[in-house]
Amino acid sequence: MTPFPARLFGPQLPGSGVAVTGVWQEDDRLQIVSPEQEWSATNLSITASGFNAQGIKISWQDDRGEYVLFIDDVIARDLCLAGAPALYAPQLQRAGREKSSVERRFRCGWAVLSGLLVIPVLLIVLLLLKQDVVANWLIQHIPVQQEARIGDMVLSRSRLSMQLIESGPSVEALARIGAKLTTNSPHRYRWFVANQKEINAFAAPGGVVVVNAGLLHAVSSPEELAGVLAHEIAHAELRHSLKGIAKSLGLRALVSLALGDYGGTALAEGLKKVTELGFSREAEREADLEGLRRLVAAGIDPQGMVRFFELLEKEQQLTPPEFLSTHPANTERIAALKREIALLPQDWQPLEIDLAILRSGLPQL
Amino acid sequence: MAMDVVDYEIFGNEMQYVEVELDPGEAAIGEAGAMMYMQDGIEMDTVFGDGSQQGGFFGKVLGAGKRLLTGEGLFTTIFHNEGRGKRRVAFAAPYPGKIIPVQLSGIGGTLICQKDAFLCAAKGVSLGIAFQKKLGVGLFGGEGFIMQKLEGDGLAFVHAGGTLKELVLSPGESLRIDTGCIVAFQPTVDFDIKYVGKVKSAIFGGEGLFFATLTGPGKVWLQSLPLSRLANRIILSAPAAGGRSVGQGSVLGAGILGGILGGSDD
Repeated sequence: MTPFPARLFGPQLPGSGVAVTGVWQEDDRLQIVSPEQEWSATNLSITASGFNAQGIKISWQDDRGEYVLFIDDVIARDLCLAGAPALYAPQLQRAGREKSSVERRFRCGWAVLSGLLVIPVLLIVLLLLKQDVVANWLIQHIPVQQEARIGDMVLSRSRLSMQLIESGPSVEALARIGAKLTTNSPHRYRWFVANQKEINAFAAPGGVVVVNAGLLHAVSSPEELAGVLAHEIAHAELRHSLKGIAKSLGLRALVSLALGDYGGTALAEGLKKVTELGFSREAEREADLEGLRRLVAAGIDPQGMVRFFELLEKEQQLTPPEFLSTHPANTERIAALKREIALLPQDWQPLEIDLAILRSGLPQL
Repeated sequence: MAMDVVDYEIFGNEMQYVEVELDPGEAAIGEAGAMMYMQDGIEMDTVFGDGSQQGGFFGKVLGAGKRLLTGEGLFTTIFHNEGRGKRRVAFAAPYPGKIIPVQLSGIGGTLICQKDAFLCAAKGVSLGIAFQKKLGVGLFGGEGFIMQKLEGDGLAFVHAGGTLKELVLSPGESLRIDTGCIVAFQPTVDFDIKYVGKVKSAIFGGEGLFFATLTGPGKVWLQSLPLSRLANRIILSAPAAGGRSVGQGSVLGAGILGGILGGSDD
């Protein structure tokens, strides 16, 4: 058997122990040798002990008292285990299990702790990476009533910068066309004409649609006007301007919106931008298709929409109309619309709206 | 690595410093900032890590990282005697307490001590980190999860607050200790915690929920006044924190009168 180094504690020995060597004997006894003395131990009890239960404690009693042989060196431990008689195998195994269970619990503890630290960080990273997804999700969860309140705020801001016409034949006509296009909408639509000569229109969140007087003068048929309205309604229904706010302000404003907090300055900043906000090409295409769908559902000739875009193109060559700065019209969009329309049946009911009456209440620009 | 044998002398009573005598060529390592004075001929060298690492760059970085965890500085200062005769260098304890010399060879070569306890040692003693792997002990034992491990067979000086008591625990002998009062122990000692026993004592007894228990065999060192406790009392009685400034007011003021009426609450 190989001797192994250890430390012996016991009666008449120094309190901090003495360095000894232990050797297992053939007759299951443990022989312990120090430079001065020798011990022969039997009836051993073996446990895991010491700091972190990393050592093996072999203890026994003799007539002078209790002795403890302590083995904490890794190599010595292995030597001791290798030479141990079969009699003590179960006790040694139990000691081994105790040591590994301490370590296992320690690792579990750290895993839980680091998990608790890492998970929030991961979540934040994920949130930042998937900002668009989160923003869209949040936007879907802004209640309609709150969207209407945002619309009111945009409206009150608009009143500061432009004169709005809120009644009269033009607004009635807009409401009549709009009603056809907004059946089953959760929003309560409100229609306004702005006293502006640029060919433009915008939709604020919550069903506020503002059409410039200039646009009403420029259209040559009610269907063209319906086309513009359908496009703007589509923006509102698809919550494009909310997404625009989200993009320009980040999630902070959205969270405050979703929670119903309207006091923040962030929101006010964002609203200022809503009316001057351009939409992405993607959003425009989406609005074109959704507008087209609404026109078809209402039985209005969608050629009006196309004609309006063509009118814009023509205007663009003279002076770039303002509508184009926020609504990039191009041949591609017109072509796409035409392709869609070609697939549709061609029986439309003409809109019973007299443009002359519509324009009668408008100021001369 | 061969250890340097150093002679030493400890001065002072409650605020001590230790003077280490180095033979020519001998060296000692000190906790950064602990040096108080040194004689001519002693050269100071600052090394990354604890000066015992023989490995390459990564070994040194690892050693230094471990030192950071145990609350030591990144660098260790080595003081070596380049003179002809014996020279002395002194290291001072950073707060009231006692310095205890521990001959590592006499206790089996390893000492587990609370972090921050290390003051100085003969060159060749390595400062390691001993993770407390028993979760309960780490959380409630008062010493945290990170302790310091001094290895080697030279002399090491450990410092702690208040009066230090060296105790020898015979096999199986167990001692219940207020958490935070353990300074150092031999690795043969079993460090565990024990619930105070009664709900009433746990809540109102003032000793907390758990005692630390040390079970022999082996030597343990205890401190009577952990620095954090001292700091607590100082802050509590600091005037800025609403403490009374006893004996400093005028006769007519609240000082003396308040002092007499209020009595002493310490």
